[in-house]
Amino acid sequence: MVDFMLAAVVSAFLNIGLLLVTIGTYVQNMRVIRSYYTSGLVLVASLLMIQNIVIVLFWFTLYMNDKALMMSADMVAHYLFAINVIQTIGLSILVWITRR
Amino acid sequence: MSCLEVQNYLPKFFFKNSQKEFFISNTNSGQSVLATTITFPVFSFLEIIPRNLFSFSGTNNGQSGPDPRFKMILWSIIAGTRGGINRAKILNLIKDTPMNANKIATVLNLDHKTIVHHVKILSKNELVVKAEKDYAAKYRLTQIMKENQSVLEEIMQKIEKK
Repeated sequence: MVDFMLAAVVSAFLNIGLLLVTIGTYVQNMRVIRSYYTSGLVLVASLLMIQNIVIVLFWFTLYMNDKALMMSADMVAHYLFAINVIQTIGLSILVWITRR
Repeated sequence: MSCLEVQNYLPKFFFKNSQKEFFISNTNSGQSVLATTITFPVFSFLEIIPRNLFSFSGTNNGQSGPDPRFKMILWSIIAGTRGGINRAKILNLIKDTPMNANKIATVLNLDHKTIVHHVKILSKNELVVKAEKDYAAKYRLTQIMKENQSVLEEIMQKIEKK
């Protein structure tokens, strides 16, 4: 059986990596052009980053330490996996556009 | 802005319960008395959001000016991509005199390949176009870019400030 929770966390790590690349580019641009637009890009990317960090933290602490929670979380893990994978695809496109 | 003024901006239902008459029972006589009419404070987003938030620089307060959709595209290409600053510099350089990639590379002191790549992206987004069909063709701004040059100038001012 596929461990959807683990797959979701791997996807979250991928998202964090992709977001690091985007934030890096945005910050470089923000250092030259300070505006609502550039700061907004950095803010949005940072919030997405926090979201993915929270997912990883949830998996690492709550999920790993609580057997009951682990069982109920596993029941909905495929949803979390789907959400994360869709986000990974979206972020990959964003990184491709940003870095080309 | 007073409460009444705000009422003119917001739909009626928003104020349905904003004013209330209520009774307080008088503990001594056991009768209820009409206490007062109170007005609940109205929270308006109109007041807390600066008007210039939706135009990135604050110079254009929703007045007629450059096309906002084009503005968004230009901002994304310049501020949202790697090497966007160089793209802005290229656009700024060829806005008056069309130049070929080689000349742009010399003036901006950048690699020729980099310039060719940037110009390719810019022409894919219809910001620049080849002036003629030669090998070393000069590039010039497209019509839509020319019409909205004020956006570019605004961005260039921000770049030069640094």
